[in-house]
Amino acid sequence: MLAFLTSWLADAPITAVPYALAALGLIISERSGVLNLTAEGLMLVGALTGVGSCLTFDGHPGLALVVAMVSASCVSLLFAGLVVVLRVNQVIAGLSIVFFCQGLTGLVGTLANWQNKHIEGMAHLAIWPFSEIPVIGRIFFMQDPVVYLTVVIFFLVNYWLSSTMMGLRIRSVGENPAAADAAGISVALHRVLAIVLGSSLIGLAGGYISVVNVKLWVTGMTGGRGWIAVALVVFARWAPWPALWGALLFGCIEAVIPHIAAAGIRVPQYLMMMTPYLATIAVMIWVGATQRVGSSEPGALGQPHVREERR
Amino acid sequence: MHDSSALSSTGETASPPAAGRSRFVLDVRQSLPAWKQSLFLAVSLGLGLALSVAILWVAGISPIDLAGELAGVFNADSLRGVLVQAAPLMLVGLAASLAFRIGFWNLGLDGQMVFGGIFAGAISIYQIGPPSTRLLLMGIAAAVGGSLWCLLAGFLKLRFRVNEIIATLLLNYVAVYFLFHLLYGAWQDAKTAFPQSTPFQPFERLTDLGYGINSGLLIAIVAILAAAWLIHYSRIGFYMRFISANPSMAKVVGIPIRAVTLWTVAISGACAGLAGFVNVASQEGRLTESYADGYVFSGVLIAFLSRNDPIVVAVVGFLIAVLFITGQTLQVFYQIPFTMVQMIEAIIVMSVASSEFFIRHRIRWIR
Repeated sequence: MLAFLTSWLADAPITAVPYALAALGLIISERSGVLNLTAEGLMLVGALTGVGSCLTFDGHPGLALVVAMVSASCVSLLFAGLVVVLRVNQVIAGLSIVFFCQGLTGLVGTLANWQNKHIEGMAHLAIWPFSEIPVIGRIFFMQDPVVYLTVVIFFLVNYWLSSTMMGLRIRSVGENPAAADAAGISVALHRVLAIVLGSSLIGLAGGYISVVNVKLWVTGMTGGRGWIAVALVVFARWAPWPALWGALLFGCIEAVIPHIAAAGIRVPQYLMMMTPYLATIAVMIWVGATQRVGSSEPGALGQPHVREERR
Repeated sequence: MHDSSALSSTGETASPPAAGRSRFVLDVRQSLPAWKQSLFLAVSLGLGLALSVAILWVAGISPIDLAGELAGVFNADSLRGVLVQAAPLMLVGLAASLAFRIGFWNLGLDGQMVFGGIFAGAISIYQIGPPSTRLLLMGIAAAVGGSLWCLLAGFLKLRFRVNEIIATLLLNYVAVYFLFHLLYGAWQDAKTAFPQSTPFQPFERLTDLGYGINSGLLIAIVAILAAAWLIHYSRIGFYMRFISANPSMAKVVGIPIRAVTLWTVAISGACAGLAGFVNVASQEGRLTESYADGYVFSGVLIAFLSRNDPIVVAVVGFLIAVLFITGQTLQVFYQIPFTMVQMIEAIIVMSVASSEFFIRHRIRWIR
């Protein structure tokens, strides 16, 4: 039983990291008032380019993750252009980007022949001497570097959003763009910045799935994790730390699936694979049943700012 | 200056120009002649299609080959394929457009198609009803199945304020895994190793009516005509227009918003369920793993391009069917993955959506 718990909880951070990073990226962009549904697509871009970088440059997982971040940011510029400059409906634009990325990554992955090619991945980092502690050491001090980096990123982003001038401007643009505009803050600039920075974290989340966790590229491999991240943002009420706890919860749920099968418990495989999605819906129901509507949602979420049309 | 009036000057009053600073200024157009609107639309659509052709060129299909493949779609044999393919596309487009009319983002078209297929398949597999009415029963069951799966998301939205975008998208994955559970388990055809159900019997399949018209297409056209009547002439259609025009006013004057929403959601799901039925009963002839793949964004695209008008849905659905058949040809002969179709669809939506900006705004350069 203890062995089961240890191996399960040791795997939980690995499955939680993509949720956490993607949700954090979405939070940055949605705090600036841009309803962002692009996560599923941008994660695919990160996952594909990460593996592509590993195959092209022969390893170097760290470089691959940077490539994943940069490429997702580049694609997000298209989204930013659509919603910030051209004021396209943000749901339509987000969905288009997701399906554009699904098609594009499928095409590039096949043409470049990156499908199902195994890559080296990233070594675990044992923080000696803590890693020698029984149970705890395996769970907390023998993870790959990105797990620790994720915690650092959360500290930085939380500080950046809540305590710096730039963070304040991004939040003001999301709460009341007309007032921010009148105060001399460029709405378009800050929204584009939030989208691009947030998308780099989403790309990192995707790159982590393919480069560090699964260690290969399969078409459509993110399997709805981007949508779960969108739900996670609502669950976290657009705040970074609750998103991390929510991501850990989903990480635990997803990590238990292979362990239950490995432990020899007979559960129908495909019904088991539904659990992350059903759990997400259950959490959304809980949010809807317990919290007041719109209490912490950014005030201008989903609304394009059109200075010329303001009342 | 014929199209700029009082409002257009607010661009300047909002931020007084610094002396000598040249910049772009946006004006809101009050109106634009129809031919100019069409011109903007055509130009941006053309740019989008040019981009798609360019991407395919990079992928190894020269524009000449592509034109050849497109022309090949219009011979008698392929055209029959297009008409068969058009039926489910029209139905998902109709499903999306009905739901979008009242602002319900039904993105669960895949899942509703899956459940439509499963319900129809259940009637066939458990041999419910006499052979003469079996097909009718399967169709009704499919509509009920899709409807119930969509109503689940509608209920979650109305009762627990769960965002329907997230709920419907996640329920797609649940539906597909449930289908896998059946196809790799209880419903698997014992004769094959593939995840397929036993083939439907001949009287359980949608047949050709002659002239290359499949009875699936008939179902789609009847559904579209019924929806057009519903929207333009029935009471619920009037309520739907009212709700989409002004939700708060609709509430104030006592329009039963919840009931209209639930009915619309149910009808939308039923259309998607029928699309699943049409796919399994005409093209596949059995339940397969992938009979609902790649339809959700097609539905969104068709609804978006047709501006939620049922009659236009039929036209756009046919055009997307041409795209689907071309995509299948490219997949077979050039090994281009079928997801390419989704990418082109996304490019089309993005270019058409951006054209609206240029229709509604005028950009001026002032010095």
